[in-house]
Amino acid sequence: MIKLQNVWKSYFLGEEEVKAVCNISLNIKEKEYISILGTSGSGKSTLMYLLGFLERPTSGKIYLGNKDVSTLSDEELSRLRNQSVGFVFQSFNLLNKFTVFENVLLPTRYIRNSIDFEPKVRAEELLKKFGIWERRNFFPNKISGGQQQRAAIARALIMKPKIILADEPTGNLDTKTGDEILTILEHLNKESGVTIVLVTHEKDVAKRTKRKIYIRDGELVEKYL
Amino acid sequence: MGNEITDLIKSALADFKRNKIRTLLTSLGIMVGVLSVVLLIALGLGLKNYLAQQFESLGANLIIIFPGNISSSEEGGGLGNFGAGFSGGANFDEKDYQSLSRINEADFVVPLFMKSSIIESDGEKELGYVMGTNEQAFEVLNLEILQGEFFEKADVSSRAKKAVLGFNLADGLYDLPEDAIGHTIRVGDQRFKVIGVAKKKGDREQDSGVLVPYRTIFGTLDVDETFFTIYLGTVDEDKVETVKERAKEVLLKRYKEDDFTVTEQTEILSTVNQIFNIVNGVLVAIGSISLLVGGIGIMNIMYATVTERTKEVGIRRAVGATENDILKQFLAESVILSIFGGTLGLFLSGLIVLGIRAFFPASINLFSVIITLVISSAIGIFFGVFPARRAAKLPPIEAIRYE
Repeated sequence: MIKLQNVWKSYFLGEEEVKAVCNISLNIKEKEYISILGTSGSGKSTLMYLLGFLERPTSGKIYLGNKDVSTLSDEELSRLRNQSVGFVFQSFNLLNKFTVFENVLLPTRYIRNSIDFEPKVRAEELLKKFGIWERRNFFPNKISGGQQQRAAIARALIMKPKIILADEPTGNLDTKTGDEILTILEHLNKESGVTIVLVTHEKDVAKRTKRKIYIRDGELVEKYL
Repeated sequence: MGNEITDLIKSALADFKRNKIRTLLTSLGIMVGVLSVVLLIALGLGLKNYLAQQFESLGANLIIIFPGNISSSEEGGGLGNFGAGFSGGANFDEKDYQSLSRINEADFVVPLFMKSSIIESDGEKELGYVMGTNEQAFEVLNLEILQGEFFEKADVSSRAKKAVLGFNLADGLYDLPEDAIGHTIRVGDQRFKVIGVAKKKGDREQDSGVLVPYRTIFGTLDVDETFFTIYLGTVDEDKVETVKERAKEVLLKRYKEDDFTVTEQTEILSTVNQIFNIVNGVLVAIGSISLLVGGIGIMNIMYATVTERTKEVGIRRAVGATENDILKQFLAESVILSIFGGTLGLFLSGLIVLGIRAFFPASINLFSVIITLVISSAIGIFFGVFPARRAAKLPPIEAIRYE
């Protein structure tokens, strides 16, 4: 579904060029449950953001289906993010000034095409599904981490994306809550056929996925060291 | 589209609610700016209104002769000599009055000497204006009698010690203005018997004036036996030009062209209006400086807001906001802040103007309301666009990692 072809991404830290992703080619298939495993600073998050169209590669090509998206405009990339990708973050990244319900609805503010669902109805469905409907009018900083992450997953799902990109989704949670979150993601993959890319540094977390990719110093490697 | 705007406003208001004090302080800058601009315009207009009232209180078809020349400055037609015009030039005396009286087309010829003085009666004192004039003054100045009578032509030639009081002066000196009749007033060393009180006119000078026959004060209050102004009046409007020409001819026999001015009140009014348009422009320019400072305040706060909300920008970008969406969001906030401050300033200046209207005809016109709202939104856009652009151009990945 998403294909990377010789993708490079480098940043400038002052004068120094930092190569975050070096020559990565990768093919993520539809309905896959895959983990990207790497230590901090290995470039795994950058890789994830590239997969989520948050940034264009310095060189190389990214295909969504058969379409080359590496040179799309900001407008078009934003539309792709809005429609096709859902992000889940380690620190949840909910906006504390909005209620849980409003946070879940946030992506629907940026809709540019017609949609086949009523945003509020779908938000209600998702919040009920994840057992936090009673918390809908709470502000994120007033609920537990597990509940925040469920709200974040609901936000990621509201636009019915094809792919969920989760960046250390269990990193700020205790083991039990983390397990619950991973179970939710597994179910989504199995039952709804959502492609899930899980970025993590924990082998235990990666173990639960069907395919594992290792990254070190921006390059794909055979084994996790 | 309408939905999008409601969304932008809602989102901006949510942010303001979280930072009430900051929002208020930021708007305060614009508020003060708008307040000063609107107030200065209102005061300028008030001054103009006040002067227009003064002129309107004189009768129509009036030709005014005064010393000096307002239209002969070296630049040609400028206003340079306007102030000097009142002090320099010819000193009109009774001879000029007599020769002007011989102009057939002029129905009224009224000399006027004026001096501010302390008026005393029965131990009470009031500041007023002694006006030495003739019996026609009442008609030319549109004065109506409240009680008693005006003095007559015979009183002028006989140097009668009679006086007609303006309404405010009579009101200040006696329990009732009507009580003034028969009392004696003292101005300097001279005493006058009050024979009449005029109705209130709304003109400050005339309402606190003491009209006396001009000859009565020759050599005493009017030491030089001169006049400040001579008015010529016609019943027929068509004769105004002829009378002006005749008056010039008469005066040129005695004075040089630059020593006097013969004008109509409409001409004076337009000169005064010209001056006030300039004064107004200067006032608005001064007021605009505070608007500018207010705008810079908004820019400052918006830059801080952008930094503070970098993460929010990252999150919004991740869920599908374009650079344009972010730009609009921050721009909306600064525009709302500016308009809020502008409206507040407008409202406050409205209250202040209402307050001072009691003693000064200041006014807010539709023009200043519109210009205020236009300017405050322009300030919001201008000073908001730089911070908003910075927010829009934040690289999403860095923004989302920002702590």
